[in-house]
Amino acid sequence: MFEVKYQPTPGWQKMMFEFQRQHPIAALTRAFGLIRGNLVTILVFLVVGAQREEFPFLWWIGGGFLLLLIIGIAGWWRFLYRIEEGELQIKSGIFVRKNLFLTKDRIQVIDISSGVIQRIFGLVKVDIQTAGSTSRAASLEAVTKSKANEINRILRRNGSEKLEEFEQETDQNNRKIFSLPGKDLIIAASTSGRFGIALSILGTLFSQVEPLISDSEIFEFFFEMLPSQTDTFLVFSIIIVFVVVAWLISFFSTLLMYGDFNVEVKDDELVISRGIFEKKRITIPYKRIQAIYVNEGLLRQPLGYGSVHLESAGYGDDKGTGSIVLFPLISQAKISKLLHEILPSYDITINGYRPPVRAARRYIFRSAFLLTVVTAGLYWLLFSSNWIWLLSILSIGWGWLKYKDAAVAWNKDTLILRNRTLSKSTSIVKRDRIQDVSISESWIQRFRNLCTLQVYVASGDHGKSFVVQDMEREEVFELLKELQKNNYSLKTDGLINERPIPRVKIPAWPEQNPALSST
Amino acid sequence: MNKRSFHKLTPRSIRAWQWGSAFGNLFFFGLPVAYGAVFGVDNFHLWIVSAIAGIVFTYWLLSIVWIPYLRWKYWRYSVDENEIDLIRGVLIRTETLIPINRVQHVDTRQGPLLRWYNLSTVTISTAATTHEIPALDTVIADRVRSQISTHARLAEDDV
Repeated sequence: MFEVKYQPTPGWQKMMFEFQRQHPIAALTRAFGLIRGNLVTILVFLVVGAQREEFPFLWWIGGGFLLLLIIGIAGWWRFLYRIEEGELQIKSGIFVRKNLFLTKDRIQVIDISSGVIQRIFGLVKVDIQTAGSTSRAASLEAVTKSKANEINRILRRNGSEKLEEFEQETDQNNRKIFSLPGKDLIIAASTSGRFGIALSILGTLFSQVEPLISDSEIFEFFFEMLPSQTDTFLVFSIIIVFVVVAWLISFFSTLLMYGDFNVEVKDDELVISRGIFEKKRITIPYKRIQAIYVNEGLLRQPLGYGSVHLESAGYGDDKGTGSIVLFPLISQAKISKLLHEILPSYDITINGYRPPVRAARRYIFRSAFLLTVVTAGLYWLLFSSNWIWLLSILSIGWGWLKYKDAAVAWNKDTLILRNRTLSKSTSIVKRDRIQDVSISESWIQRFRNLCTLQVYVASGDHGKSFVVQDMEREEVFELLKELQKNNYSLKTDGLINERPIPRVKIPAWPEQNPALSST
Repeated sequence: MNKRSFHKLTPRSIRAWQWGSAFGNLFFFGLPVAYGAVFGVDNFHLWIVSAIAGIVFTYWLLSIVWIPYLRWKYWRYSVDENEIDLIRGVLIRTETLIPINRVQHVDTRQGPLLRWYNLSTVTISTAATTHEIPALDTVIADRVRSQISTHARLAEDDV
């Protein structure tokens, strides 16, 4: 079927048009990938395994790793690829064979990155995205750099034969690079909201280690050492230790994740690269960007910082969501400038609406109710300290903040929604990117003439919704009518009504103070 | 703006939903049974068990007698060359607009219960969400499906 022209090559090295395996290290990366993907299952197994007396703990771990390694090796053995006449052909699958043929015209983006394992052995990983809506279409886990360059050269769009060196591309024109300064990285790491993840990891670890510790003499020794042995004191000190350790974990994991952060602006795509040990490189064509949102976390907002994210259709991170961090930390005064440089059409401030005053109590009730119930439960079960009621007072303030930050604004091509769960989030959606719009009213809302607006955009394999609750009914229906009138597209046939009472301007990033902009 | 014509679902859908919830909601009777199995049914717990059972029974009865009718009463949909408009919901009323050029694909499907009543569900998928028009007469459902796909094709040619 295929006409093969042989050229003299070293015996071990195969030409691109012959079926070949990846570098053997791919077996290892696959095994680690399996571990990372099934971490929860593995943990559960370990917990179960640790209960049994006859199976030592180490046997479980060793056996499990061996099994994964065998799977990895089998997967590597059964994975064959080649490039034939501008078409990437992959055969994979241990038992069920899968044939994947990708033609050059369908390939949109080729990402070359390297994880920890790849870096140790001087290899790279090649990810290939197509125009379709599915996430990463094909990936070669471990190949040598020269091979990756060859693949890139052959499969590059437009069939340009121009040789592009990995990470040293020659065309310097029309490119801008934004990187994260070290000071901002430290702030980002110390205020990152990765607490929750760190806490849950700690909790799992603690539940494993706890029986070992409590039997040992060290624990009793510590008990003797502690000055006052009231239960509340013990509980609080444990909580404080947990929080500090969790903070340290989140600090360093963020440092590693966003170290060496760069956004590179090209003619038709953005390239985001980040990571210290594990290099990640994501390429996003502009036409895939569905929405931009800016998060101002509870710790970051008072300091005047936020993070910028984008929603991309199709391709995102490994979990299949399309949310990508466009900039992990930026001072609010610079957001407008950054957006102007990267995505000018998203740098926009328009007049909009806030929920009416009568909605405030609904916001407060919603936040306070659940927390108060939880607090009451805690009060009854654990603590008898009245200080815990502070939580439910805080929740009232939280509800008020939620009310204060909710807003909607739109003009002829953009819709901006602002809301708060814990962090304040401002989403900017282009109207021709809206997938669908829902307006819902519960019977209490109907009674108060309020409604909830929900807008969906495509993101990853699924969608992502932006919600603003308890808006004035007439205003939202006016928005709906405008959307209908122009058929959700940018083709406007007539003027948009100027609304008489602009209640709020959003997002209205603070102006950059020239005195401070020197940094 | 042109006036749009809304359609209601086929009245037979009430019957189908009644049977559906009559069997489907039997599951909730597991709650009092489970509670009784865990805590026993002596004096204090007996009250709780019977209270749960009472609530479940009332809900079960309502879900047969009244809720399917209300659901049918508030459901309406409209399809034209620009968009699909779905209005539904008993307690929480929701209106959803789907621009027709965002529709990726439309299917009709039919479970055994709907087949018995000769009904079908139309499923509309966009890149972000999936919506359905439940329980239309099979002939109408097929018509709606082909209508949507025709409009969607034309809209795509536009762009």
